Parts: sequence; C-alpha cells; structure tokens
Amino acid sequence: MKVFIDPPNSLILYDLVERFGHEPLGAMASIQERIDNIELDLPPMNVTLDDVVKGLKYAGVEVPSGIRGRLALWGPLIDQADAALIMLDPPFNFGCVGCERSNEMVRYLIRRRGIPALSVAYPGNEAEAKVSVGRIKEFLEGLK
Amino acid sequence: MTIKIAQLSCGTEYSSVQYEIEKAARSVGAKVVYPDVSYADINDSLKRFGFNPRSPQLKLMIARAVSLADGKYDADAVFITTCFRCAEAALVRNELRRFIQDNTRLPVVTYSFTERLKAAQLLTRMEALVTIVTRKELLARERQTGITVGLDSGSSTTKAIVMENNKILGKDWTPSGDVVKSAQLVLESALKQAGMEMSQVEAIGTTGYGRFTLGKHYGAKLVQEELTVNSKGAVWLADRQRGEATILDIGGMDNKAITVRDGVPDNFTMGGICAGASGRFLEMTAKRLKIEITELGRLADSGDWRNAKMNSYCSVFGIQDLVTTLGEGKSFEDVAAAACHSVAEQVYEQQLQEIDVRHPIIEVGGTSLISGLVKAVGEVLGEKPIVPPDSQYIGAVGGALLSSGFL
Amino acid sequence: MSDERETRLFMISPVSNVTPDQLVRAIHAMGKGVKVKETCYGCLAEGLVADVKEVTGEIRGRYPYDVFSKRRAYPAGDPRRCRAEHGTRPGYAQLEAEWESLPLIACGLESCDRGETHEIPPEPEKLSVEDFKKITEAAR
Repeated sequence: MKVFIDPPNSLILYDLVERFGHEPLGAMASIQERIDNIELDLPPMNVTLDDVVKGLKYAGVEVPSGIRGRLALWGPLIDQADAALIMLDPPFNFGCVGCERSNEMVRYLIRRRGIPALSVAYPGNEAEAKVSVGRIKEFLEGLK
Repeated sequence: MTIKIAQLSCGTEYSSVQYEIEKAARSVGAKVVYPDVSYADINDSLKRFGFNPRSPQLKLMIARAVSLADGKYDADAVFITTCFRCAEAALVRNELRRFIQDNTRLPVVTYSFTERLKAAQLLTRMEALVTIVTRKELLARERQTGITVGLDSGSSTTKAIVMENNKILGKDWTPSGDVVKSAQLVLESALKQAGMEMSQVEAIGTTGYGRFTLGKHYGAKLVQEELTVNSKGAVWLADRQRGEATILDIGGMDNKAITVRDGVPDNFTMGGICAGASGRFLEMTAKRLKIEITELGRLADSGDWRNAKMNSYCSVFGIQDLVTTLGEGKSFEDVAAAACHSVAEQVYEQQLQEIDVRHPIIEVGGTSLISGLVKAVGEVLGEKPIVPPDSQYIGAVGGALLSSGFL
Repeated sequence: MSDERETRLFMISPVSNVTPDQLVRAIHAMGKGVKVKETCYGCLAEGLVADVKEVTGEIRGRYPYDVFSKRRAYPAGDPRRCRAEHGTRPGYAQLEAEWESLPLIACGLESCDRGETHEIPPEPEKLSVEDFKKITEAAR
C-alpha cells in the first residue's frame, strides 16, 4: 500500500514504511520529478509559479506563497495515499518541512481524507521508542 | 571579488522565487550563501536569541543570524526575506534585522515576497548592498570637487545638477518622458544656469530608473542605484554627513526609507507594491481637485485630515473615498490634508516598520516640497522631519558628489 | 525520469561499529552496477530503481539496526544541493537530527524483533486548576 509519511522528508519514517513492506510516499519523489525535468531551469528545486498557483486547490490566495507551494507538492501525494504515518513533534523538521503552518495543514488534509492513519509521539527515551516502533510495526503490518 | 550575500529566509524555494533571488544577486556580481549551522547550533542559538518560533525554518534563520553575529561565518551583506502575509515570519524577519544591526556592521535589507517576485524587483536592492560593500571609500566622500554633473532619471521627474568645488551652480528638473531627451533638456538648462559648457564637465554620475541608458549615452563615470546615491545627496544637502539619520524619500512610484551611519546606508526598505502610498496618489488627488500638485501642500496645511476620512490602501479606492468626501461637501483643504495624511500613514505602516527610525529624519524627493505631506509625516512620526534646500535634487546631487571621486 | 534513477541515502547509526568504508565495500561487492559515494554519515548509492532496491534490501538484511536509508531527490554531487556551492541547505540540520535519533529507533526495532510488547503509557495530564489553586494557597 502507499503510505504517506509525515514529516514527508523523514529518513526514519521512510525506512520503517519500506521495512514493513509498503511504499512510502514522501517529499523526495515529488521533488525528484521536478528536478529531473530538464526543460525547466529554476534551481534549486524547479518549483514553478504554476506549482504555487496549483497550491490554491489546498489554500486560498491570502495564504503565504511558501505554504501554497509546499501544499502543491505534498497535497497530490496525500490524495493518492492509502494510509498515513505521522510522527508528532519530532526534533527534526527542517528542509522541506520548515513551515509549521504547512505541516499543520498536511496533517489536517490526511485527517480530512479519512484514510487509516497512525500518529505516534516522537520517543524521548528507549522505553518510549519501544512503544512507538511497536505501534508503527503493528499499524503497518495491519495494513496488509 | 564576488560579494557574498548571506540569505536568511523562509519559503523562497517553495514560492518559486529562489532562482530569481540568485539571479538578481548574480547580475550585480554577488553570490547568495547560507551560513553553515549544525543541528546543535540551532538549539543553542534559539536559547540565546530568546524567540522560539514554531516553524523550523525560522529557527534555522535565527541560528544563521547568530552565526553571522558571532563572526563564525564570513559574509559581506545580509538579505532577510520571508513570505508576504506570514505573521510569524514577519516578526522573526524584523527582529533578526535588528539583531544583525546590533551585532554586526553588515548592511542588511529585508523583503517580503510573493510568488510573483522577479529578479528585476530585487536588482536595485542587491545593487545597493554590493555598492555599500565595494565602494566604501567612494561613499565616504563628503566634498564634491572639480566640475561634475549629476543626472537623476526618476519614474516621475528627471533632474540635473551642475556642481563645482562643493557648490551647486545649476539645476533643473522636468517631468520624465523619453529618458535621454528629458535628461538633455534639464542638463542644458542647468549648464546654462551655471554659465558652463558641456566640454568643461569633468565627470557625470547617473542614478534612478534610467541610469543605465543615461550612463551609456553620456559615458558617465558613475552609474549607481538610487539608494546609496540619494543617501549621499540627502546628507550633503542637510549637512548631516556625520552621525546617524533616517532618509525618507516618498517617490513617484516607490518609497525609500534608509537608515544611514556617516552617510552610508546600513539598512533600507523600498516599497512599490501600492501606489496608494506614493507621490502618484497625491498627483491623482491634485488632478481630481483640479489644482496643480504644487498647490496641494499649501491647501493641506490649512485643512484638517480628521474632517475627511480617507483610509484606503489602494489608490483607486482612495480616490473613490475622496470623491465621496467631496460629495459630502467637505472642504478642499480638509480633503488635501486627508490625502497627505493617508500617504504618510501608509509609509509609516508599510516602510518604517521595517527599519529602526534614527534621528534626525531627513525628508527628501519631489514630494518633500508638498508642505502638507511633510506636516503629515511629522504628525505620524511625532517628530518634524528636516527638509533640506533643493530636497528634490538628492539623486542628482549625490551623482555629482560621488562622480567627483573618479577625478 | 523518477522511475529510472534512484539515489539512496544510507545513514549509519552513531552507536554502530559499521564504517562508511565497510558499507561502500559491501555495496560494491554486490556487483549490481550501482554507483556509490562515501559520505561522512554513510554513503549515497545511485543506479536504476530496481538495482538500488535490491541493494537496499540486502543492506537492511545485513545491518538491520545499524543502517537506515531513504530515497534522495537530488543525484549525488548535484550542484544545486552542493554544500560547497552555497553552504548547508536546510535539510542538513534535519539529517543531523535524525542521525542522532537512530539509536532510539534501532532500540525499538530490536525490541519488536524479540517479540516484546509494550503498554501504551497514559498521556501525562496537566494539574487541575483546583489542585493548583490549593498548592498556591498552601504556599502563601
């Protein structure tokens, strides 16, 4: 199944989804699609004005452009996801997921679609890590 | 030498504007860089800075600013930019600007962008950052020497100044039409007034929108953006070459608010999104009142803006307000005062929030001749601005002053 | 296009004894024709999607608690993301932070593989206003 990961650029979540037998939907593939397009020359990411305009599907024009641009990238992934795995309050949230308003909206879009979704808190110690990873494993294996 | 402009930003790559920022920097011989910070640096910096925004990219901006302040990363200038309409980013942007100014001597400019941003809009700002870094010695110049000419090709008017040994000998202005023809007209007139021939002129400095065209046409020794040139002209005219000041130039199309230290800008904003906050709006008002723009200020002086509310951000709706107010039978004086107050208020809200106003405030540019506007600016800021003589000629004076540095 | 190239970022957990060099040699030894570039945190492997998937599977089997990976959008050495060109990009801090977290995740995985089950601890609750009021009054 296709499992959207949030944060969408997380190495840990990408690895876990794949490890437990599913296809992770994250930021990397949609960015690769853009940067591999040799007809465009808008480095570093080839996110275009069209992309930002497409973001209007998810948020109105009064919403800052950076949010619309991000939603234009992640929105279609959420639309095609069969499930979602969310890690709450991770200490890593830089790069593609640098805007917390966009991140909130991504989590809401997942909820709005009504697909199976698991939210786990980022573990603070080994005992919590065992619980979190155990829940992730159970969730992902249950999707089969 | 490539100038390194440190970019502190949020949202640029997802708004399709990063390329435009880098393009603008490249076109003025600069390069955009990101100060290196580690994950541990981010946490330490946040504790030290004391503002912990929710968005991680803003946290990263803070860490990068701290790295610059600590001299851990070497850059020549700072460009702070975030998405237009993002409240969290607007707070961080302004506080970081202040932090950089308090802790470094790097020139800094802030900007809030939309996805429509194009490199051309940033060009003057980037060029100014580069000028401040590369032309330090030239900008330190306080006296004009020899015989030089300054040409300021602005969006509304074209101005010429002829100077000899630190004195203005001739000057003229005309509404801008064809860039070269307008300049020729005012230059001839200024030379005539000075009793000089073109062949006696030793150097020419050009600035304003038409600077490149005029620079090429006249073989000018100095072709420079208006932010640094106007600043020099303003402090020379106001005799405030040393110490701090804020220069406020409400232009025909865009407004500039520049803070200077010893005549050299270290922070500036340049707005041009809305004509409602520019001299153009006052022109439109004068036209609707069927008076000359030169009469508007005097009229406004005797009016009271409180009697004619005009609080629109848009020049079109502003004029609609004006029509309504006139329809209600309000006096021309009150309406003129309200128009001046509206422009002053918007400049305060849009531009002066992006800089820390330093004293004295020197108001310059063509609009500084509209006394009602100067009065309104004084009311809004709580301090009467200085309007130096020949205040509309700042660009031309700056051009003549700085070009003499090439003799 | 995306289906053809896959660039995979392998990251070694900070508590692991596996070295980037070992990892690179292990991938080379698989003979899949995948390009490998050693990095400070592990390596980047680049090749056809199917080949990189096989490599990933084998590495995961060999080092289940030591090496983690994800797909990377940019090809190895792409100047658009090169640190030497501009300084670090925002994602770098993310990688560092995730790298620090890997031992916790490994610990969780090991526990799962041992078949351990764990109760979900109750969410900590905030003190009720009533109780807080009592405490403040007592402190007067």
